[in-house]
Amino acid sequence: MLSLKTIATRIKTWFPAPIVHAHCDGPCGVYDPAAARIAAEAVLSMTKKILELQPPDGGDLKAMAAYENTITRYVQIKEEQTQLTKKELLVLWTDYFKPVHLEQFPDLHTQFWNVAKLCSACKVEVSLQHANELMEAIETIQKMFWVTKNRTDVPWYKAS
Amino acid sequence: MSQIRNSNVLDVLLWLLRQRQRFRVEGVSMLPLLLPGEEVLVDRRAYWRSPPAREDLIVVRSPDQPSFRLIKRVVLTRQDGACFVQGDNPSQSTDSRVFGWVEPLFILGRVTSRFL
Repeated sequence: MLSLKTIATRIKTWFPAPIVHAHCDGPCGVYDPAAARIAAEAVLSMTKKILELQPPDGGDLKAMAAYENTITRYVQIKEEQTQLTKKELLVLWTDYFKPVHLEQFPDLHTQFWNVAKLCSACKVEVSLQHANELMEAIETIQKMFWVTKNRTDVPWYKAS
Repeated sequence: MSQIRNSNVLDVLLWLLRQRQRFRVEGVSMLPLLLPGEEVLVDRRAYWRSPPAREDLIVVRSPDQPSFRLIKRVVLTRQDGACFVQGDNPSQSTDSRVFGWVEPLFILGRVTSRFL
């Protein structure tokens, strides 16, 4: 018997649906380092939580299962959020910043290279130092970003 | 961010009975929820009785270009039924931050499920 999924696939091929746009007037021109900052805050928070979480004593299997469940969730969120931080930063680097900004900030490429490496480090390790450095690096990028837009009224703040 | 369920037999039946409309998503502004090429089912009568609610996934006509249908998420609603919509992937989305509130006349329906 044909599954619902197979039928749906055939319907999609034989009777194409009208388009609905999940679009961006590419380039939409809406950029904000805040997206990277929020993700990086989650990385920092998860790093702290992983380091603080204590395994249970002895042979309490239930407590052990709860511990492993919690630590797995923390690690998973850290993985996701480091990847997201990196993606948001790469969008700024490759889509927002233009050659003209390099004149203003000659070390722009190095900054992004370093911050992308920091994301990788935070993903691989459980390092409070690197998570804090990641936040600092994003703060630097936020400052550069708003300077290029001639804005001085955007403060650096954290959600957490 | 709210999820979207997959269509079941009832949804397909409603579609066959013309109670749901299929649309194919193009573009990346609804990532990670909807990938380009995925299809959704839309209830065009969803808002006949009650206005849109926050977090609803809706299909609207672009206020700037009414022939252009957009899929976005409701972020805010106004007493008169107008919506402020945004993409789930805000850095890659043109939405109410650009074109402002979407009037009820431009709201085409609510996404009820992913068609598969």
